[in-house]
Amino acid sequence: MTTLADALAAEHAAIYAYGPIGARLTAAAVTAARSAEAAHRSRRDALILKLTGEGATPAPAAPAYTLPFPVTDQASALRLAVEIEDRTAAVWRGCLPTTTGTDRATALAGLTDAAVRATRWRRAAALTPATVPYPGRP
Amino acid sequence: MLRATLLAVAVAPLAGCDLFESEPEPVASPDPLAPLLAGTLDLAARHEAAIAAYPELAGRLTPVLEAHRQHAADLAKLTGAATPSPAATTPAATPAGDVKATLAALRTAEQQGQKSAADACLAAPAERAALLGSISAARATHLEVVR
Repeated sequence: MTTLADALAAEHAAIYAYGPIGARLTAAAVTAARSAEAAHRSRRDALILKLTGEGATPAPAAPAYTLPFPVTDQASALRLAVEIEDRTAAVWRGCLPTTTGTDRATALAGLTDAAVRATRWRRAAALTPATVPYPGRP
Repeated sequence: MLRATLLAVAVAPLAGCDLFESEPEPVASPDPLAPLLAGTLDLAARHEAAIAAYPELAGRLTPVLEAHRQHAADLAKLTGAATPSPAATTPAATPAGDVKATLAALRTAEQQGQKSAADACLAAPAERAALLGSISAARATHLEVVR
């Protein structure tokens, strides 16, 4: 199980990863990556506001993150995008049992959006099947 | 004959004194997820019917059909309902019109199903929230491929 602070850490990491991802994509995929990155930034900002409002000090992003594998071309960039969205979905899913009310709705939206983007990236990478039965489940 | 009557007489007052008689029958209160399970079986049946009518959709719809079946099996297990077999699912109506209309109807059903699962997730106790959240998210991803 995870908390909203873990979700913030996941969003920081996702925003970082879309830098090298975007650099290796072409045409329509670049637009999709920019829009995905913007969505992660907006979730990050909402989490910072929420946690600050509760009196917490949200952890800042790390200066750099170790990518799970090198991003050298369009194929590896798409694979990393799938991986990042799957990981983000898992963290948001882990927040569902630890939250209630509007926080759980936020976690569900985070899980759902990440799952949909993971499916879109699988389609872009021609990975089949593009869907999984239980998004975010380890 | 006499013995049977005596037994019946002896048992009747005992039942009347049963301390638990006023308790609700366990079967009388269905699990709150029963409607979601029924809706999941319906989604599976719709995809099954669409594939039967338009085999060219099989590649696209089979993973989605399998997800619904798995969701139904897990919801049945969670709620203590009998595990539904594919044959036991209600036969869905023959898909209307053509491929385009069939896919549009499936999309509408997936959207409604996503909302039902999301509502169930938000109302659920902690131990059910993750499973229901994943079911709702899965239905959102189905909209990416059912087109």
